[in-house]
Amino acid sequence: MSVPLSSETATTVARTRGPLGLGMAWAIYKKEMRVYFVSPLAYAFLGVFLFLSGLFFYLGVSMTGEASLRTMLTNLAIALLFMLPMITMRHFAEERRSGTFELLMTAPVPLWSLLAGKWAASTTLCVLLLLGTGIFPAILAYYGDPDWGVIATSYVGLFLCCCAFVSAGLFSSSLTNDPVAAGLGGVLVLLPFWVAGQAAALIDQPTLRTVLQHIAFLTHIEPFARGVISTADLAWFALFTFGFLFLTWRSIESRRWR
Amino acid sequence: MISVHSVTKRYGTFTAVEGVSFEVGRGQIVGFIGPNGAGKTTTMRMVTGFLPASEGSIAVAGHDVFEDPMSVRRAVGYLPETPPLYAELTIGDYLHFIAEIREVPARDRTRRVGEVMGEVGLQGWERRILGSLSKGYRQRVGLAQAIIHDPRVLILDEPTSGLDPAQVVGIRDYIRLLAGTRTVVLSTHILTEVEALCSRALVIAKGKLLADDSLEGLRARAGEGLRYRIELKGSGVVQAVAALPEVGQVSPLGVVDGFERMEVRAPNDPRTAIAALATAKGFEIRAMEKLIATLEEAFLTIVGAEA
Repeated sequence: MSVPLSSETATTVARTRGPLGLGMAWAIYKKEMRVYFVSPLAYAFLGVFLFLSGLFFYLGVSMTGEASLRTMLTNLAIALLFMLPMITMRHFAEERRSGTFELLMTAPVPLWSLLAGKWAASTTLCVLLLLGTGIFPAILAYYGDPDWGVIATSYVGLFLCCCAFVSAGLFSSSLTNDPVAAGLGGVLVLLPFWVAGQAAALIDQPTLRTVLQHIAFLTHIEPFARGVISTADLAWFALFTFGFLFLTWRSIESRRWR
Repeated sequence: MISVHSVTKRYGTFTAVEGVSFEVGRGQIVGFIGPNGAGKTTTMRMVTGFLPASEGSIAVAGHDVFEDPMSVRRAVGYLPETPPLYAELTIGDYLHFIAEIREVPARDRTRRVGEVMGEVGLQGWERRILGSLSKGYRQRVGLAQAIIHDPRVLILDEPTSGLDPAQVVGIRDYIRLLAGTRTVVLSTHILTEVEALCSRALVIAKGKLLADDSLEGLRARAGEGLRYRIELKGSGVVQAVAALPEVGQVSPLGVVDGFERMEVRAPNDPRTAIAALATAKGFEIRAMEKLIATLEEAFLTIVGAEA
């Protein structure tokens, strides 16, 4: 315990602020990435994700005999639906539980910077998971002659899936103080978007069927696995991502008032 | 520096804080005292802007908490009841992160982190993981994060709760050092803390502000100077003392070494009258002492009167 701050210190600790809170989003992003990689979480996810990818890759190639990643990629999208909420569940639930949410909400951090930083950190972790599966296209290239264009669009599709699922996971995490509930809640939020596709196949009523098909995320990721990028699918993922970010923002704001 | 005007906070039908108003001037250290669940934390959270008030207005450093929350956040350093730490991070990484979100310029961050670590007694602890720290060290890190941006206003919610006596002294010394240049509001339910640090106290219970006074003023409310401890030996001393016109209420406290000990309440000092009585009746006098009211008594009187 030494002397209090001098007036000189007070002036050098000047107030500076990046444009529009981008600097804050960057600070949050770095903190989240650090928390991911100092804990075993990121490595555990990488392990599970690579194991599942290997399984889907083997099954896909051995059953079809094609030098293609189509089976692996659609199955991975479904695996992400269950895994991503576990990556995002901590974000707000854990901050609330440990009291650090109070820290963030009393520091000059705009709410959107907080959302952007957290979203970007989880999405980055997903990109790292996807990069880890790069070994499978390499194996295909060694033994066969894969269509690189299709592989590239497939990865774009998976990336968009990650963006969307991370948003939904953040939303779920903003609803509760319990990370486990937030994780399972995230799966619950996402499940209808998967099940809608299965349901559509069973329904004869044409309008309802079309609606369900449009809701289902597999409808929108399937074209990517065939090498097709359409504006409609891009718009669907963008709407999903920003829609859930908006809901997260509303949920945090409204909880303050209760 | 802090101006709270008729603030009420409701959670559904439950009213946590009701019609609280107070002002804290620049450089003051004010103690916020009250039983657990009195509304101290809720009030502090409203002052920091973490919770919006249901009614009333709050201004900190000239900025309205509701209209201009970012300016208030910049002016305030806040230590919540539980130090807000990320268990996975090291002290150094954590404080760097805080410096960043507290807008300490990039070129000053390393220096500033080193300074505050020195000030709270954490030199050389950069690489310790927060999750492995003892309560006392967590509290120090909590204080370090509250002052890293050199705020004009410090809000400390129970800064010494759960610490051992040596740590309590250390943290209090440090808070005293911060005073003078800063406005400090600290909450506590330990009254010796208020006596050690503050010149003024706000007493809150059941969400209402019951007193806003100097420590002397609070003691006066508990009847300082109006109570006396008397020890006399003789037959029928209690009745004889109670019969004196100068004496109000007499509470016998039992016999000690043959002397009857009693507490006497009287509007004016009755000791010469009691001495005259003892001489006349042949009582032996061992003690006649004016009792100084403690802050505890003041507190219990104020809170008790409300209940």
